[in-house]
Amino acid sequence: MNRSAGSLGRWIVLYGLLLLVLLWTLVPVFWMVLSSFKSLADVLSTTPVIAFEPTLGNYVSLDAGGNSLLSYFRNSMLAAGISTIIATTLGIFAGYGLARVNFRGKRHLAFWIISTRMAPIAAVILPLYVGFTFLHLINTIWGLIIAYLTFNLPFAIWIMHAFFADLPKAMEEAAMVDGASKFQTFWRVALPLTAPGIVTTAILCLVFSWNDYVFAATFSGPGSQTLPVAASALITQTGIDWGQLTAIGTVVALPMIVVGLAVRRYLVKGLTLGAVTGE
Amino acid sequence: MMLPALAVLAAISILPFLYIIWMSLNDVTLLGGSGLSSRWVGLGNWAGMFTDPNVWAGWVRMVIYFVATVGLQVILGVAIALLVHEVVWGKNLALSLILIPMFIAPVIVGLLGRFLINPTYGLYSWILEETGIFTGNILGEDVPAFVAVVLMDVWEWTPLITLITLAGLVSVQQQVLEAAKVDGAGYWRRLWHIVLPSISGIVLVALLVRSMDALRYFDIVWQVTGGGPANATKIIPMGLYEVAFRFLQLGYAATIGLVMLAISILIANLFTRMLKQRGLAG
Repeated sequence: MNRSAGSLGRWIVLYGLLLLVLLWTLVPVFWMVLSSFKSLADVLSTTPVIAFEPTLGNYVSLDAGGNSLLSYFRNSMLAAGISTIIATTLGIFAGYGLARVNFRGKRHLAFWIISTRMAPIAAVILPLYVGFTFLHLINTIWGLIIAYLTFNLPFAIWIMHAFFADLPKAMEEAAMVDGASKFQTFWRVALPLTAPGIVTTAILCLVFSWNDYVFAATFSGPGSQTLPVAASALITQTGIDWGQLTAIGTVVALPMIVVGLAVRRYLVKGLTLGAVTGE
Repeated sequence: MMLPALAVLAAISILPFLYIIWMSLNDVTLLGGSGLSSRWVGLGNWAGMFTDPNVWAGWVRMVIYFVATVGLQVILGVAIALLVHEVVWGKNLALSLILIPMFIAPVIVGLLGRFLINPTYGLYSWILEETGIFTGNILGEDVPAFVAVVLMDVWEWTPLITLITLAGLVSVQQQVLEAAKVDGAGYWRRLWHIVLPSISGIVLVALLVRSMDALRYFDIVWQVTGGGPANATKIIPMGLYEVAFRFLQLGYAATIGLVMLAISILIANLFTRMLKQRGLAG
């Protein structure tokens, strides 16, 4: 076998395998988006339909009758958004402190933070349920915000700590020599340098809480139903409207895919809790 | 600077932690409305749990589910990373597309999976029928249902392992690889003797991160099978949720939850130790 035939063969195998991986990954997503634009007859065809007359009917019906897509969207946005803002803001300050100040017991503190982030949701939900019942937080947006803080806050502290720890100390020291106060050094030097880290932290917090189902399904009621709960509520005793389901699935998935891929460069660091630095 | 965050974290983590311990020592029952009754039972819940065949069965299913999902994710994730690493033309786009599943809410992944394998309208069940691989209701039988929820989890989280492994592959020393090439070592030999040993640390990070999350989430199982058919997919978090919110035995559920918590703390401990080895201790 000569060289060019060998590399052509290699090229075919490589891209052939890549095509298989892409099919496995994308066919479900593609099929979900496609089905969301189908009429009920096309969705319920017993042989798959690829060519069809597209319709927005499924999206329209999600905001009609007993459904209120806009209020589900608002609830999701408020619960995920507010918990993200609180977690990221508190996380920036605590993360900076953890990265720059040495004190006794720091290792134990770090361990407590990471254990909190990793606590199984099925366990956390029990004391929260009882607490929320007493505090009348069941079926409120604030209940969900607090529930999301149980994983977003330790995550934000930990990951902001990792981003600040990566900054070279020299720049901050130079600012201090020039007479900047500790707070000015933090505000004017360290904070702008970690801007990508802050954005990544916020986006990951948003994705984690936007995608939550277990907390929302347990704590929310008619007044605070989020998109994932509304999606699963479309499955009723009398039947499942797959057209509407794929439409709401698309509404839940697309925004998170877009914002998630926007910070792809920093995802590795964020998702490994700072253990691995990417590209 | 750290006080506000730590105060909030203490309020939402230490208080619930103390409370769940108290719950596990009591017979806590939900009453109609928002009432709650509790009665001290000491270690009664704990004694009951260790002899409860349902709890043991739940843990056995959890271990099988864990080994199947995380095992497949690591094998496929590393394989796909090695593949993407070799790709030159279109690498960036391919990686972005491959990552898509991990941003989708697990409950939507479950719903989408149910749609695809629906015996009447599902695309995948249609393919399986046409090719004669499987006919019938996938979610109606023990083993096919278990395989289905495992594959849905694998679909969603394999990209995470791929992403992390790729970061490791970038840092494999090029000179060493070139030298081996010059010495006549083929791709598989270089893979086995140079590439895999040098990415093993990062793959371990990926494994631990995924392990902690595997115990945290049960959205897919809840949505797709609810633990059925005939308890075939009732992994421990699903069983716990049922004990708490269907049988309304919150105290007993708290006991099961504490054991889960202990295991996740154990894995977190391994993780921080590894961070320390990598010089990244908190």
